[in-house]
Amino acid sequence: MVPLSWYMVLALILIGMGAYGMVSKRNLIRILISAEIMANGVNIALIALALYGPFFTFTAQALVILVIAVAAAETALAMVLMLLYHRRYRTVDLGIPVTRTEEVS
Amino acid sequence: MQEAEILFENIEFLLIAGVVIVLAYLALEHRDIVYAAFFFGFMATGVAGIFILLEAPFVAGLQIAIYTGGITALIIFGVLLIPRAQDSTLEVLHSPRMRKVGLVLSISVVVISALIALLFPWQESIPPEHIPLSQSLEGLAEWLWGTHAVYLEIIAMLLFVGLVGSVAIIRMEKEEQLRPRTEDFSLPIPEESEPESATSGMPVLEARDVKEEKEVE
Repeated sequence: MVPLSWYMVLALILIGMGAYGMVSKRNLIRILISAEIMANGVNIALIALALYGPFFTFTAQALVILVIAVAAAETALAMVLMLLYHRRYRTVDLGIPVTRTEEVS
Repeated sequence: MQEAEILFENIEFLLIAGVVIVLAYLALEHRDIVYAAFFFGFMATGVAGIFILLEAPFVAGLQIAIYTGGITALIIFGVLLIPRAQDSTLEVLHSPRMRKVGLVLSISVVVISALIALLFPWQESIPPEHIPLSQSLEGLAEWLWGTHAVYLEIIAMLLFVGLVGSVAIIRMEKEEQLRPRTEDFSLPIPEESEPESATSGMPVLEARDVKEEKEVE
């Protein structure tokens, strides 16, 4: 079988890439994609740890199902909030509204 | 024979992991955000392959159905609904110093979680007994629907609340848009937004008419 550490390294790389995207990007949609990439890394770590642990339970798989459902709900809600953001500031760029607020209101 | 199987599995893992990492990088860095969303969908499919390697076929199916099918489609819909979402010049923080801060932060996240994940003894020496796929699926179904049915209800409630909340927020904003123009604004409305206010509803016009009538009296 593939050693556990390989799965953990893959999960770590995905989490790190997601963290980098969340910190350094300014486009809201790009930040959402980064969050989803992080969630994917966490899912891989959860299922790998459950399979390689001393005793096997289905708790981790159920947890991953919950994470996927939460990610779906989160994406829907984030899209709505992004639409509102765009209606208010006419952009999805995070840096601009600070200077634009006075113009809009 | 068994060694060949192990080697084959390792090669499978390395291939899928490489594809996943490259696609994740493209999803983060590709200039066109529609392409980025597509790459994210393909990356989710690769992660589903890793779930199959990890003997979790049901989760792999869910991953493909929800991530590749649902979330990617939702992101693309969002990109289409938001006109200026594709501005690629505005994506990265302007100053290179902030970019470096971002890199350092994310690398520290990786290092800390690597310390936790790789140094902690996860009992890697214990070889897990091989679970056939069908048995895994049956066990998961029994676990979910037998003793832990509340769990599924929580997920259903969560999705329902998310849906209702999204609709409620959209409606709330519409009402909010009508209010300030009728009451709070004493300034003249700029010409650009004239047609929008005319189409957005009668209350604006009615309020003005009432004021004018009062002034005439």
